[in-house]
Amino acid sequence: MARPRGTDGSLLASLPWTLGALALSIAPHLPYLPVWISAAFFGCALWRYIIERQRRMLPSAWFRALVALICFLGVLATYASISGVGPGSALLAIMASLKLLETRKRRDQFVLLFISVFLVMSALLREQWLWSLPYMIVSIIVIMTAWLRMSAAANETAKQSFRTGGRLLLYAAPLAIAMWIFFPRLATPFWAVPIDTSRATSGLSDTMSPGDISSLSLSSEVAFRVSFDGPVPAPRDRYWRGFILTQFNGRSWSGNKDAEVGRNATEQITARGEPVAYEVTMEATRQHYVFALDMPLEWSLPKTHMGRHQQLTRTLPIDQRVAYNAVSYPDYRVGTELSDLYRRWYSSLPDNTNPLTAELAQRMRADAGNDQAFINAVLNRFHEQEYFYTLEPPPLGNNPVDRFLFETRRGFCEHYASAFSVMMRNAGIPARIVLGYHGGEINPMGGHLIVRQSDAHAWTEVWLDGLGWRRVDPTAAVAPERIDYGASDAAFEGLAEAWGLSAPSQWLHRVSLAIDALDAKWNDFVLGYGPETQRRFMEWLGMDDPGWRKMMFTMLGLVLGLTIGVSLLLALRYRPPAKDPAAILYRRFIEKTGLEPGVGETAERFARRAIQARALSATTVESITAAYHDTRYGPGGEAAMTRLRLAVSAIA
Amino acid sequence: MSSIQWPFPSPGKFLGSLRANAVAGVGRWARRRQGTDPATTVLRPGRVYILPTGVGFVFAIMVFAMLLGSMNYNNNLSFVLTFILIGVGFVSMHQCQRNLVGLELTFAGTEPVFAGQTLRFGIAVTNRSKSTRYGIRLMHDDAQSEMHDLRPGESRVFVLPVPTEQRGWVSLDRFGVRTLFPFELFRAWAWLHMDISGLVYPHPAEHAPEPPPTTVAHGHRQHDARGEEDFAGLRKYQVGDSPRHVAWKAFARNGQLLSKQFAGADTSSQWFDFDDVVANDTEDRLSILTRWVVNADRKQEDYGLRIPGAEFEPAHGETQRRACLETLALFDKGSGA
Repeated sequence: MARPRGTDGSLLASLPWTLGALALSIAPHLPYLPVWISAAFFGCALWRYIIERQRRMLPSAWFRALVALICFLGVLATYASISGVGPGSALLAIMASLKLLETRKRRDQFVLLFISVFLVMSALLREQWLWSLPYMIVSIIVIMTAWLRMSAAANETAKQSFRTGGRLLLYAAPLAIAMWIFFPRLATPFWAVPIDTSRATSGLSDTMSPGDISSLSLSSEVAFRVSFDGPVPAPRDRYWRGFILTQFNGRSWSGNKDAEVGRNATEQITARGEPVAYEVTMEATRQHYVFALDMPLEWSLPKTHMGRHQQLTRTLPIDQRVAYNAVSYPDYRVGTELSDLYRRWYSSLPDNTNPLTAELAQRMRADAGNDQAFINAVLNRFHEQEYFYTLEPPPLGNNPVDRFLFETRRGFCEHYASAFSVMMRNAGIPARIVLGYHGGEINPMGGHLIVRQSDAHAWTEVWLDGLGWRRVDPTAAVAPERIDYGASDAAFEGLAEAWGLSAPSQWLHRVSLAIDALDAKWNDFVLGYGPETQRRFMEWLGMDDPGWRKMMFTMLGLVLGLTIGVSLLLALRYRPPAKDPAAILYRRFIEKTGLEPGVGETAERFARRAIQARALSATTVESITAAYHDTRYGPGGEAAMTRLRLAVSAIA
Repeated sequence: MSSIQWPFPSPGKFLGSLRANAVAGVGRWARRRQGTDPATTVLRPGRVYILPTGVGFVFAIMVFAMLLGSMNYNNNLSFVLTFILIGVGFVSMHQCQRNLVGLELTFAGTEPVFAGQTLRFGIAVTNRSKSTRYGIRLMHDDAQSEMHDLRPGESRVFVLPVPTEQRGWVSLDRFGVRTLFPFELFRAWAWLHMDISGLVYPHPAEHAPEPPPTTVAHGHRQHDARGEEDFAGLRKYQVGDSPRHVAWKAFARNGQLLSKQFAGADTSSQWFDFDDVVANDTEDRLSILTRWVVNADRKQEDYGLRIPGAEFEPAHGETQRRACLETLALFDKGSGA
């Protein structure tokens, strides 16, 4: 039997709320969704609303099936997959759009609301900001209101539904908080999780081609935040080691991208001096490398190893913000012996590239006499000759090192690190480039160090026999202030000067620091609440040896207790009004007489009947009646209550 | 052509009968447990039952999937979302049950109907608490009343339609009050077994023979030749008065419809006697008598009823009608059902 396709306008009470809930839950996905899906959703929503408003016909089943097929193929073509957060959200958005076109009854909207709940969740899986929680709560309230509107009686207003939704959410909040705190967190996921990569995050690239990119972005996005257990090291010691580049093809440097385990990478390290302990909260990079202060010896991040070249990598890419503790030794030595194989590996250069550089390096090495003197000579050349530090160097073309060293003489850390390493390798000294960050800004409000993308830095490590790998930062020879103060402050001063608005931007900067402090705390305590933080919190609460069983039982106990609390609260809400004491006393009098008052019988008539039937004292009964009337209608008060009580107790 | 007969009932039928048996069994159990309720009953917590609905099951599956997802992604904000939904589930269970507890239900009466018509049981539901009760509905077997919210202190009569087939007392053995509030995740309900019933008059026969001829009740006064009596005065026109007796002149004067009254008027009274009715069985006789009563009442004629065990002197009006129809309804049935 064909169902009628027209609407009768009966959804007008609930449909706008359902559409609002869907729009709210789809909004965080808009930057990621292909434009056609967003357009399809808003088009369908508007269309459906007009259909309901003007009581038109819904589109036919054939039309809907055709549109569904086209959309599904569209998603396949866009994402080449249907699993993962990206295509999943796209499919949910399409399902919502199509379901709208066949929603006829109030109950059909359940599907729409379930979809919007899933959309809210997938938005959270994609990214979590400071405003994500308040936004989620607003979405949930609107979804709950829409839900209530759907099954509300005709005489119920939207405001009542909204208030009911808010009230129920308020009751549920303590339960949710208890479950959130005590639900045991897993250290590792069950299965590999595909995370949406449709919007690239800024981070270090894993190759370096100085001269190809003609300007370095100064993104102020946070790369990671660090809280030190002790004092914060001086700016010049803040080298955040990341990725090691070892191979040069004449134009660009590259390294081993995959996570690898160096059997004796840590054993080569000899720590000296005082350790520095700290906690890093690192933003997602979708890459494997893990940042730590040069040189880390201990770290708490699981599945993380130190590979060859003393490079920290995690076997899983860092898809989400992670927090870890680490201990580093700023004063260290790495290895004292290098096999011939490795020596050749670290000194290799492609043939017939950058010939002028090769010639210069060999001449300078011969003049210097030993490796140490040669290094100093090269650094002196950068320092004393006309070399400049700039973030917008000219492009370099072929033989970039030759062109940089002899012609342009302008560049940033990558240019100097690359040129320096090529010089070293030409002189037979093993050299490698370290990509990472340098410096960072201390947030006075949070007490932590903010390391931004603009703090990205490249420096070199050279092998000296008997000393091992030594860090040499050629940029320091050109722009010592870059190393002494860090990029953030320098960039900030430059910005302020450029704008000529020193005071307001100082103020703005302070606001941004306050938000950063809040964000850092939020990350630490809420977003970063993982197995480790949970265990520490349980211990702080006083739980001995917290395991998942103990947490689970605590959680169940709390949920049970809180649910009983909610039940009692509701019982209180729906309790009948208290009987007034005068009525109770009068009832007792009636029981004492053993008579049943007739329907509509007044107190006076009942009193007369009682006096006759039970041979009671007329004065007592009359005073009961009078006192009862006084408590009811007269000025009575406490005195009348007392008279009533005495008189009732006088009857046997 | 008849369909193939399988030796076993089809799964659908089997499940259907299983369900019907279960419902009946639960009903008997509830009745045994609760006993017969007084005409005014306040719902105690112990007699409000609650079970998840289909939507509730789907919701539970969704929340479980979300929990797995949150654990897998180790995503704290989606944990928050999941736990909020779980919390809302728990809260709505209690809200659903409390929405009924403390409601006061009172039988508000029925109007008698003829067999085949729908008997409408009125149940007054009162909300004595200080909070609104949302989405309250009464139900009986497959029928249900409209859904209403009850504001604090509000009392509202819900109507339960019960189809009838036979005359006599129809008792409402059991009815329920239920709610799906707040999110239709749970259904809370209570069964009530009040000793209440409604009266069903016999079905008025469609093809009744002509009633017995009119007899003159006041034999001491003779009709005169013109069939007119002594004019006695005017009274206000009533529906059913013969147009021949309307005082048209008076109407033309002051626009008021008045009927002429005659002393010793022929009130065209008639006797309906059970034994005079020609019919196959008792039910048909009662049916025909009912038709006569209804028609005579409609015409405002005096009529009397004589059936074994009861006799009503000729009269007309609501009292007469009720008395006669009640007697016909309960003939041979005892006083109560």
